[in-house]
Amino acid sequence: MMMKPMALLLASGLLLGAGVKAPAADETDANTIVERANKASYYAGKDGRAQVKMTLSDGRTREFVILRANADEGMEQKFYVYFMAPADVRKMAYLVHKRPGGLDDRWLFLPALNLVKRIAPGDKRTSFVGSDFLYEDVSGRGLEEDTHELIESSATQYVLKNTPKDSGSVKFLSYTVWIDKETFLPRKAEYLDKNGTLYRRVVATKVETIEGHPTVLETYAEDLVSGSKTVNSFSEVSYDLGLKDGLFTERFLRRPPREVTR
Amino acid sequence: MKRLALTNFSLRFPWVILLVVVAMVVGFGSQFPKVKFDNDPENMLSPSEPVRVFHDRIKEHFNLYDFVIVGIVNDANPYGVFNVETLTRIDQLTHQLLSLRPGVDGMPEVIASTGSGNYTSLDLHPSGRFARALNVVFRHDPTHLFNEEGGSAIIGRELIGPSVVDNIKQAEFGSLKLEYLMEHPPTTQAEALVIRDDAMANPLYKGTLVAEDGKAICLYIPIEKKTYSYNVANLVRELTKGWGDENKVYITGLPVAEDTFGVEMLKQMATSAPLAGVAIFLLLLLFFRRVSLIIAPMLVAVVSVVCTMGLLIGLGFKVHIMSSMIAIFLMPIAVADAVHILSEFFDAYRQFNDKRETLRHVVGHLFMPMLYTSLTTIAGFASLATTPIPPVRVFGLHVAFGVALAWLLTMTFVPAFICLFISNKSLHKLCALTGHEEQCEIRNGLLDRFLRALGGVTYRRARLIIGVAVAVMVISIVGVARIQVNDNPVKWFTKSHPVREADRVLNNHFGGTYTAYLTLHADPNSTMTGRDMAEAIRARARVRFSADESPALGRFLHEVDALEQKLSDMDTCSPASCFAQLAEAAKRIDGKAMSGWEVLADEINYLDPEGLTHAALVATVTGLDALDTVGRERYLTDLQAYSALTGTVLMEEALALCDGYMEHSFESFVTVMTTEMTAPAFKRPILLNYVEALQHHLDGIAVVGKTSSAVDALKKAAYELQYVALPVELTPEEYAILQARNAAFFAVPDEAAAVGQVYIQLEGMKKRDSLFHLVTKDYQEANIWVQLTSGDNRDMQAVVDETARYMAAHPPPLKLEVGWAGLTYLNVVWQEKMVRGMFSSLVSSFVVVLAMMMVLFRSPLFGLLAMAPLSLTILFIYGLIGWVGKDYDMPVAVLSSLTLGLSVDFAIHFLQRAREEHKRHGSWQKACVPMFSEPAMAISRNAITISVGFTPLLLAPLLPYRTVGFFLATIMAVSWMATLLVLPALLTLLRRFVFGTGENDTPIDEGGAQ
Repeated sequence: MMMKPMALLLASGLLLGAGVKAPAADETDANTIVERANKASYYAGKDGRAQVKMTLSDGRTREFVILRANADEGMEQKFYVYFMAPADVRKMAYLVHKRPGGLDDRWLFLPALNLVKRIAPGDKRTSFVGSDFLYEDVSGRGLEEDTHELIESSATQYVLKNTPKDSGSVKFLSYTVWIDKETFLPRKAEYLDKNGTLYRRVVATKVETIEGHPTVLETYAEDLVSGSKTVNSFSEVSYDLGLKDGLFTERFLRRPPREVTR
Repeated sequence: MKRLALTNFSLRFPWVILLVVVAMVVGFGSQFPKVKFDNDPENMLSPSEPVRVFHDRIKEHFNLYDFVIVGIVNDANPYGVFNVETLTRIDQLTHQLLSLRPGVDGMPEVIASTGSGNYTSLDLHPSGRFARALNVVFRHDPTHLFNEEGGSAIIGRELIGPSVVDNIKQAEFGSLKLEYLMEHPPTTQAEALVIRDDAMANPLYKGTLVAEDGKAICLYIPIEKKTYSYNVANLVRELTKGWGDENKVYITGLPVAEDTFGVEMLKQMATSAPLAGVAIFLLLLLFFRRVSLIIAPMLVAVVSVVCTMGLLIGLGFKVHIMSSMIAIFLMPIAVADAVHILSEFFDAYRQFNDKRETLRHVVGHLFMPMLYTSLTTIAGFASLATTPIPPVRVFGLHVAFGVALAWLLTMTFVPAFICLFISNKSLHKLCALTGHEEQCEIRNGLLDRFLRALGGVTYRRARLIIGVAVAVMVISIVGVARIQVNDNPVKWFTKSHPVREADRVLNNHFGGTYTAYLTLHADPNSTMTGRDMAEAIRARARVRFSADESPALGRFLHEVDALEQKLSDMDTCSPASCFAQLAEAAKRIDGKAMSGWEVLADEINYLDPEGLTHAALVATVTGLDALDTVGRERYLTDLQAYSALTGTVLMEEALALCDGYMEHSFESFVTVMTTEMTAPAFKRPILLNYVEALQHHLDGIAVVGKTSSAVDALKKAAYELQYVALPVELTPEEYAILQARNAAFFAVPDEAAAVGQVYIQLEGMKKRDSLFHLVTKDYQEANIWVQLTSGDNRDMQAVVDETARYMAAHPPPLKLEVGWAGLTYLNVVWQEKMVRGMFSSLVSSFVVVLAMMMVLFRSPLFGLLAMAPLSLTILFIYGLIGWVGKDYDMPVAVLSSLTLGLSVDFAIHFLQRAREEHKRHGSWQKACVPMFSEPAMAISRNAITISVGFTPLLLAPLLPYRTVGFFLATIMAVSWMATLLVLPALLTLLRRFVFGTGENDTPIDEGGAQ
C-alpha cells in the first residue's frame, strides 16, 4: 500500500507527489482511505527526482540521487538510484521495476567490478544499503497484502491499523499508520513484533510543498531493538522532468543519465 | 601462666563461652539467606584487569554475545541432519526460541509451532523432588529467562541458525537471490539437500553452522548475560525432549559449562561437605569410642565453617567456585587441633583424675605448638591474598579467618564443652574400656604397635630413610619440571557428564565450540604516510600509462611529487583536499580532448538503440562541438571497423570506443587512486589478502578447527555477484575454462572500490549487520573468529604464540594493533596470573613460616627441620602431578597452601615433643620410644581422619572436588610419612647438632642386627 515505508522513504514527494489539496468530507472506510492515499501519492506527477543524504546512527553516510517515473498505463513504476558517496561506492546504481501485485525486477551495477547483476525477486524486507530502511520501504508493500482498519480519525489524521493476511511471510504482527487528512501523506508508521511489542518506527519529520506537491523532506526509520536509526534528508526535489523510459535500462546503469549526474 | 588465660577463663565461665559461641553461630548463620553465587570464571580476573576491559570492548565493538551452543546430530539418517524431519524440527525450535516471552503469569511461553500465533506455557522446573528442593534452597529459578523489562534472555536478532542466517545464491536467469539459508523448512528430501549444498558452499557456515560431514547442525543462541545460560540450556532441553533417538541434542559452550558448574557446585556443597563431616565424625568415633567426646571437635569444625561462610556472605562476597571449597578446606584443619587436645587429654587424665586440671595441663603443654600450627596455617592461606586473583584472595583470607577462629574455639570452647558435658564417670568408664588398667589412654592396638615399631626403624635405618627421601626428592624435582600448566572449565566435569559429552561430540563434528577473537586494529592516522601514498600512485601510474604518453605522464608524476610534499606537511592540506587538488591538476593534463569523449559517450547513450545505424552515429559525432578535429577524425576512423553493425550492438561498440579513450584519463585514474589511498584499512585489498594468509596459517594449527573473518564473507559475496551462469551445451574444455573463471571470483577484489561495493551488498542483507561481527562499521578494525576444538589453556596459548610468531615473520602491510579476546583466551590470562601468583605466595609463605619456626624453637636448625616434611610433601605432590601428567589447574594450585599449612603442623607437634622427651630422657634414642607413643598416635589419627574423611569427595561429579579429595589424602599420607620417618631419621643423624652434647656415643646399627 502507500502508507508504507516506501511512502516515507521516497515520500520525498517522488511517490506521494501531489497531496490532495482540497480534502473532501471525512472518509470513514479504511480501504477507501488507503486507495485514495495510494492513488494520490503514487500517480500524481508523471515523474520526479530527489537527492538524498542518508545518515546512519553510527555516522556512516550515503548520498544518492533517485529518479522515479510512473508508467503511462497501469500501476507500474520505475526507480533509478545512483550513488555519489562515499567514494568507494561512487557510480554504483540500482534499477527497480516495480510491479504492484507481481514480482519486482531489480538490477544492481557495481562500477568497480564493471558488473550488472540481476537480483532475484525475493524478500523485500531486507535492509536498503545497510540502513534502517528496507527495500520494501523503497518499492512499497502491496495494498492487497494487508487488511486495513480505520481505528481512529482525529481532526488532522486518520489512524489505520494494517494486519498482514499472510502472517508467516513477515516479521511483524501488524503496523499502524498515521495519515495526514489534508495531504494524505503518511506521517508515521509503527510496527509491532509477533509478541505485540513496538520494534520499528518510520516517521516523516519535515514536509514542504514543492512545485505544488506536499513533499516529505526529512524522514527517519528506527530499529527500537538494536537502537539504530537512519535519517534521510531530501534536497533538490523536482517533478515532471519528462524522464524517458529508456533511462531505466541496463545501459544507463553502466553510464548514468544526465538527470542524475547534473 | 599467661598461655592458660583463655582456658582458665573458659573453665571458670563455661556457660559464657557456650553462649558466646551460640550467639556467633546465630549471628553469622543469619547472613546465609543473603547468599549470592558467582559461577563466572571471568571473575577470576578483577573487572579492571586490562584483558577484561579489552574483552568487553571487543564484545561491544563487534556486537558479540556469549553463546549457548545447541548441536543437533543425526547419525542414523543417510543424509544426516539434512532430512525433512530434522530440519523441520530445527526450524520449529529456532522460531520457538525467538518467540520466548513471559506469559501473563510471568511463566515463560513460546509458540506452539512455526508461524503459529498460539503460545504454550512451559514448566521448566525439574521433576525430581530433591532437585526442586535444591532450587528452593539455593534460590535458583529455572524460569528466570527475562530481564527486568520482561525482555527475553535470548538476543533474537543475533541468533545463528539455518532459519535465520543469510544466504546468497544464484537463481534463475543469472540473477542473485538473497534469502535465509532455510527460508522455509523443506518438504522434500531434494529441498533438504539444497539447503545442505547452500550451507556447505558458504565458508562462514561450513564447519560452524553445519558439520562438514552433514551429520550435525549447530544453533548459536546469544544470551544477554552468561548467567542465563543454564536456564536457556534447560529451556532447549524442554523444547527438544520429544525429539526421539534419531535426533540427538547436545548443549555446550563455555557459558553453559561454567553456569552448569555453578549449579552443580551448589549440589556439591550441599552433599559432599556434609558427607565429609560425617566421615570425619565416624573416624573420630572409631578412635575415641564416645560420641560425647568427639562432639567437641565436630562442633569446632561446624562453628568455624558456619562463621566463616557467614562472614563471607555478610561482607557481600559472592560464593565462587573457590569459596565453595572453604568448608572442605576448613574442616580438617579445624578438627586437627581438637584431636591433639583429645589425644593428649586422655593420656594425661590418669595423672590428674580431674577434668580441669587435666585440661590445664594439656593446654599448657600444647599451647605453643597449637598456636604456631595455627599461625603457620593462617600464614599459608593469608599469603593467597598476595595473588592477583580476587576469588583466591577472598578464599585465602576467609580460610585464614576460619583457622584463627578454630584455634580460639579449641582454646576456649573445647575446654568449656568438656567441663560442662563430659562427666568424670564417663571418663573413668572410658579407661576401663581400653583394657589397659595402668594406662587410661585410648589407642588402637594395631596402630600403636605399628607406630612403636616404626620408631625403632627410624632410629636404626636413619641413613636408609634419608637416602630414600633424597631419591624421592630428586625424582620429584624432575617431575615438577614436567608439570603442564593447563585448565579447561569443561574438563571440570567427569567424562560422562552431558556437558563433557556434548563438548566431545560437537568438537568432533564442527570446527570447534571454543571461541577466541583475534582482533586487528589499524590506526587511521598511522597506516600510510604521504610518501607511501605517492610511491604507490607513481608505481600504478607507470603501469597504467604507456610510454607514448610520456610527456603527459611526466607532468602527472611531477604533480604527484607535489602531492607528496603537501601530504607530508599536514598543515598545507588534508588528504582529501590534497587529492582533490591532484584531481584538478590531472583534469588539466587530460585537456579538452578527454572531456570531449565524455560528452560524446553521453550523446551516444541517449540515442535510441532501436535501428541505430553507422551513418546516424557519424552524424552525431560530426555535429558535436565538444570534440576537436583530431579527436573527431580519430573516432570516425576507429568507428569504421563497426560500419557493418547496427542497433544495440553498434551502440555498445561505439561506447566501448569512448571507454577505451577514457582509460587514458589521468583524472579518472586519480579518482580510483583516491579511493584506494583513503579507503579504511579493511577495505584495502593488500590488507585483506594479508588477513586471508594469516587465516590460512591459523587454519593449519591442529587445534584450530576453523577461522572466519570479513574476508570470507567478502570472497563469498564477490563470487556470487560475479558468477556467470554456464550455458547448457558446453564441451568439457569450455566447461572447465568457464568454471575456472568463476572459481577465480572467489577472491578478494583487486580494488578498494570493488571491495567497498561488495561490502555494501553484505551490509544490506536480510539479517542486518551480521557483517559487523567481523569488521567494525568504519572498517578500521577486524575480528577473526577463531574456533578451537579444545578449550585447554595450553592449546589456546599455543595459538596465541603461533600467531605472534607468524606476524613477526610476516609483518602486515599496514601497522596493526593485535589483540585477543574471547572466553577461551580470558581463561589463559587468569590462569597464568594464578600460577605465578600461587608460586610467589608459596615462596613468601614458606619464608614466613620458616621464620616463625626459627622463633618458635629459638633455633635455626629446628626451624629448618620443621620445614623438611612439608618441603618433601610439596615436592612429592607436585612431582607426582608432573609424572602422572595431571594438569596443573586451579584446585591443584591452591593445594600448595593447604600442604604448607597442614604438613608443618605435624612437624611442629613432633619437634616440640621431641625436645621435651629428650630433656626428660636425656638421649634421643630413649626419647624416641615415647615419641612414637602418644605424639605419633595423635599425628597418625589426624592424618587418617583427614585422608579418609575426604573420600566422599572422590565420588563428586565435579573433578576439582575429586582432585582436592585425592590430593588431601595424598598430602596427609606423605606428610605423615615425612614427619614420622624422615624427621626422626634426620634427628637421629643430626642428633649431635640438634640436641648437643651427650648424643655422641650411641651407635646406629646400620646392619639392623639388633
